[in-house]
Amino acid sequence: MVLSGWEAVFFWVFSIAAIFAGLLTVMARNTIHSALFLISSLVSVAALFILLHAEFIAGVQILVYVGGVMVLFLFVIMLVNVGEEERGQEEIFNRSRQVTTSVIFCGLLVAGLIYALNVGYEGIQKRDAATIAQTGAERRAADQNLAASATGASKITKGTEWVGNGLYRFGSLPFEVASVLLLVAIIGSVMLARTLKQEAAVDDVAPDVLEKEAIKDPELAEVPATE
Amino acid sequence: MLFFLPIDFVDQMLLKFFSADTVNHVVWPFIQVVLVISLVTGWVAAANYLERKVSAFMQARLGPMRVGPWGILQPIADGIKLLTKEDFIPDKADRWIFFIAPYIAVAAAFIVFVVVPFGPDWAVIADLNIGLLFVLAVSSVGVLALILAGWSSNSKYSLLGALRSSAQMISYEVAMGLSLIGALMFARTLSLSSIVNAQSGDSIWFLLYQPLGFLIFLVSGIAENNRAPFDLPEAESELVAGFHTEYSGFRWSLFFMAEYAAMVVVSAVAVTVYLGGWYFPFVYRLTEAKGYHNLYVIVSLLVFLVKLSGILYLYFWLRWTLPRFRYDQLMDIGWKWLIPASLINVGTSAISIFVVQALDGWRGMKTIESLSGGLNLTGTGKGVMIVLGLAGLGVTGLLLGRINWRSRDFNLKSQRRNIRLVNIPQGKPAVPAVASEG
Repeated sequence: MVLSGWEAVFFWVFSIAAIFAGLLTVMARNTIHSALFLISSLVSVAALFILLHAEFIAGVQILVYVGGVMVLFLFVIMLVNVGEEERGQEEIFNRSRQVTTSVIFCGLLVAGLIYALNVGYEGIQKRDAATIAQTGAERRAADQNLAASATGASKITKGTEWVGNGLYRFGSLPFEVASVLLLVAIIGSVMLARTLKQEAAVDDVAPDVLEKEAIKDPELAEVPATE
Repeated sequence: MLFFLPIDFVDQMLLKFFSADTVNHVVWPFIQVVLVISLVTGWVAAANYLERKVSAFMQARLGPMRVGPWGILQPIADGIKLLTKEDFIPDKADRWIFFIAPYIAVAAAFIVFVVVPFGPDWAVIADLNIGLLFVLAVSSVGVLALILAGWSSNSKYSLLGALRSSAQMISYEVAMGLSLIGALMFARTLSLSSIVNAQSGDSIWFLLYQPLGFLIFLVSGIAENNRAPFDLPEAESELVAGFHTEYSGFRWSLFFMAEYAAMVVVSAVAVTVYLGGWYFPFVYRLTEAKGYHNLYVIVSLLVFLVKLSGILYLYFWLRWTLPRFRYDQLMDIGWKWLIPASLINVGTSAISIFVVQALDGWRGMKTIESLSGGLNLTGTGKGVMIVLGLAGLGVTGLLLGRINWRSRDFNLKSQRRNIRLVNIPQGKPAVPAVASEG
């Protein structure tokens, strides 16, 4: 795919925005600012998806990540970090060993990524040369026939169909497994975050355990275990 | 029609200066965007006046009467008051986020208008093929603005409002998205214009097929907009003004604008998906005759606006009729009623589509006209579908009513005690303590 015209402009604008927002995500001192930069990075990536004609994925990306996941993130950060915000005024790049390691790994990753992209790109170009030329011509022809108001085809696109088919026909088992995994993670984190005192308050500790622990921490015995 | 010439005339004029591509994809969309933005801003000013007048009407008062005849210049007075107020930023606020939050709110509310089909042809800015998903996605970004505004103000009322709003909007977003799926099964597309076309092709409103879906969408839409009776994030009697307590002047008015614009968006989606959008019977006769095309668009536009104002009036009506819900009631409605109901709705819509297709050809019944462009039903098919829709509403009501019957009386703690520690006096071990290693 050769970028040209406005497509190229938008591609560069959004990819540079995504990269810088990603950088600022790890460099910002305030966790809320980090989360905000992550959100802008995700929005830029969604714009890149639109440039790839994967509108459905872009929509889902914004709906799920920006609207759902990141809102919950912010929620958690705000609740957890209220007191600790004042700290962290020290410099970020003051630990030379960590910085060297991360720079080396970053370089390796970038080099690997560029190599893999080149190989993959050339392979795809060779394999699909005929199809790419054909679809390009078709797209141009279709774009010219469109009315001013109809910038998108008024039906479900091929991409959406592929996503739906792939997800529900071939990927339904991994999908379910992943959702069960997430459920396990949620329950696990709730269990880890609960203190014994909280558990005692909802009457969720076996009485013998409670008795033993009460010897160490007399406050536990006073927790009202009634409704 | 001489009266409607100007649009073609402007088009011809523009073509003299720009290429056809530029005119179609840049100049006209730009004109449309400017028009829509100014109309929505005008609506915000009008809503300010209308809200007071409607509330006054409902409470047998006069409402604003001093500024201009019947007080119609009240919005202008309010606007001047807002713009001349001090733009105050609290001392310990996070300045950047405090600054940016109102703009996120306005942007999220206004961007959605790109896909709203106000009418056919030139009355829609861009007919994206992910239209409905786009609406849901962008309006879900609106939550961010409330949270950031509430947090950055560094005030406890604001933070409480923000936490409430995020909990509320996340809960109701799920029901909102799920309730639309039923209607999408009939339209088989996400593009809003095509959803209208699917209804006009069948000459029916999806409200008739999906009464339950419409109800769920409307309730969760009102909750999404933080309007009374779901206005807990800005409950003025508890939280001063909720998430925008610390905002003043122009920045506050941006939140105000975002709220009213989001109201229009939800109503527009409700009209498009469930009430047939700009479609009205016999409208196609206008397109047939040459020269009436612009008239056709404008009449359709008017139809859309009439339906829209109906729903918007419902908003005002509910606000001044119902008291605010308690927080636990709000969560009850969201999680115990709307989300299960929307899930059931997805199931019943699928079943009813299946039933109607299965009935086709049974004892000479003919229910399906064609399947090529969505689901086109004959008169009998429509009747069956409407009956099934109403049956779904009744079944869901009964089922959820049964499940939620006295769910409030359910006491988790006593249940646990019953299961685990049968008849054991409290504080004594359930099993006789055996000497253990520790």
